[in-house]
Amino acid sequence: MTPDSTQDQQSGGLATAEEAIARLEDVQRVTEVALAHLDLEDLLNELLLRVREILRVDTAAILLVEDDGKTLAARAAKGLEEEVERGFRLPIGRGFAGRVAATREPVVIPDLDNSPITVVNPLMREKNVRSLLGVPLLIEGEVIGVLHVGSLTSRDFREADVELLQVVADRVALSIERSRLAVQGQIAEALQRSLLPRTLPDLPGFELAARYLPAAQEASLGGDWYDVIELGFRRLGISIGDVAGHGLGAATYMGQLRSAMRAYALDVEEPAEVLRRLSRYADQEHSRMATVIYATLGLESGIVRFARAGHPYPLVLRADGKSEFLAKVGGPPLGTGARYEYDEQSVTLAPGDTLLLYTDGLIERRGERLSEGEEALVAAASAAPDDPELRCDAIITELTGDIETSDDVAVVAIRAVAFDRPLEVNFPAQAEQLATVRHLVRRWVAANGGTDDDCAAFAIAVSEACANSIEHAYGPTDETIGMRADLEDGIAAVTISDRGSWREPRGENRGRGIPVMREFIDDVAIETGEKGTTVVLSRRLGERPR
Amino acid sequence: MMPDLARLSFQRDGDVELAQVAGEVDASNVGDLSEELLETLSNDVRAVVLDLTNTSYIDSSGISLIFDAAARLRNRRQEFRLVVPPRSFVGEVLSAVSIEESVPIDPAVDDALAAVGSPD
Repeated sequence: MTPDSTQDQQSGGLATAEEAIARLEDVQRVTEVALAHLDLEDLLNELLLRVREILRVDTAAILLVEDDGKTLAARAAKGLEEEVERGFRLPIGRGFAGRVAATREPVVIPDLDNSPITVVNPLMREKNVRSLLGVPLLIEGEVIGVLHVGSLTSRDFREADVELLQVVADRVALSIERSRLAVQGQIAEALQRSLLPRTLPDLPGFELAARYLPAAQEASLGGDWYDVIELGFRRLGISIGDVAGHGLGAATYMGQLRSAMRAYALDVEEPAEVLRRLSRYADQEHSRMATVIYATLGLESGIVRFARAGHPYPLVLRADGKSEFLAKVGGPPLGTGARYEYDEQSVTLAPGDTLLLYTDGLIERRGERLSEGEEALVAAASAAPDDPELRCDAIITELTGDIETSDDVAVVAIRAVAFDRPLEVNFPAQAEQLATVRHLVRRWVAANGGTDDDCAAFAIAVSEACANSIEHAYGPTDETIGMRADLEDGIAAVTISDRGSWREPRGENRGRGIPVMREFIDDVAIETGEKGTTVVLSRRLGERPR
Repeated sequence: MMPDLARLSFQRDGDVELAQVAGEVDASNVGDLSEELLETLSNDVRAVVLDLTNTSYIDSSGISLIFDAAARLRNRRQEFRLVVPPRSFVGEVLSAVSIEESVPIDPAVDDALAAVGSPD
């Protein structure tokens, strides 16, 4: 170290007040730069270099309190690098650093050979450290670690030294805390980004919203998830779950379960069977417990089928303001080893009805009974706006707003909405759109009182009309097709219009499409003009003799 | 990701090839299905049965595929039969274009396999 490190003992290591201020500014600069550091080790090492310089000492070290809250572990050291390399640890209360942590007060040892405090770290003697000064690293009164400096020559650390080191320690503690929070925020964010659906599908007839709220407490990265699985044009899969415990282990297992669920959902239609398979997978993989609901939503029928493994009840909020928890079926959580044949329950969502799925973080409060949490949820959900996005926000604000959430929270809201009448949509003139369009038409016809036959008739006729537009009207451009569906006096009329400029008269080119349309639709009107072609398909909805 | 609109599978029963289409056939996937079907059908089978029991949707592009396949198999002197459940949506579509005049239709796979080789 600098040769003068022990020479200006008169001023306690500091030459002048100006110098003290300059050094404080130096500390400030270091800690501000440190905010950019996400790697804690890098940050600590850089801070220690500055500390050693500022206090003109030979050694500097930081020990941090471990997750158990009882042990200090060396995390960074200058002049005592082996301390870190050897993985030095000591219980709070023992030795020099242990005493600093236990008392939360600065501790000075002017001469190691004549000290009442037993220094347990053999390295201190190996290195011939003579004098030590240690201060606690405090965040809101809690000890998170110890910062100590040492001199190889005898040094009488004075009040001014102690104060300066404590100022440095406070800044270091803040930097560590910020770095930890930043790292944690980044991990949680990355995890959430990779494991939760980026966007929810756009489904005419339904509105979907979902929220994931990480736990407020440090180091409690959670295992909650939700997922939305597109299972084709008629069904949507929805899963929500909660893996027991916290931390990266829980979050990783959450990812595994979510993926396994996806795989089963693509293969198997019955929610109860999906859960049965997932349960067997879980038993094989882990002893960690998890609760889960798997549900499918019939896009044409609005029927939700679900099975439940130890998870809080789904809540249905009806358009008329009534609500009910769906508690008929259940079963043990995953990971208990219990072979259980899950049953399914179903509920129909009519326009205006909302299904709410959530994890226990939303309703469980310390010192409260579960039923109180459920009542609070019903009250909050009922008072919230109908729009699922707004409803999710309102529920979360109401139930978690004034407390620090110790658990993470996931919420999914699905609302059936009445189809607009007339329904008007535009879509790209591409064959890949046909299936989406005909299933949209099916659902619109069904929602307006059409029978299965009516749905099928409009599905194929609309699909044929659109296919003709795509085939004959357009080149490989980004043209669009417009569809408008309306109902008048029991007759549904669907208009397909394109703006294609025709290269040749239509007619024969429509091939088999037109006979197929006419087979299923009472009245097919085709009008070709300079601005494009319009096809109007009209059919009376309702039962008819076969 | 949406699952595939339709899946095509093959099953050989002696010198009869059974091709089964599950799902929906429209202009977006008929090209791929047609290619897969015609590439897989070999010259050495006596008959081909196309099973549409699990076909939930078919439109005029799918109808064209069936007519094309029928013409090709006729040229190769291979027998071609369709399986379409009675009163199904697909059956309705196919009868709208009188496909039974070109390709014999059976209500179930067993019927088609039994009918192969017998004079219609």
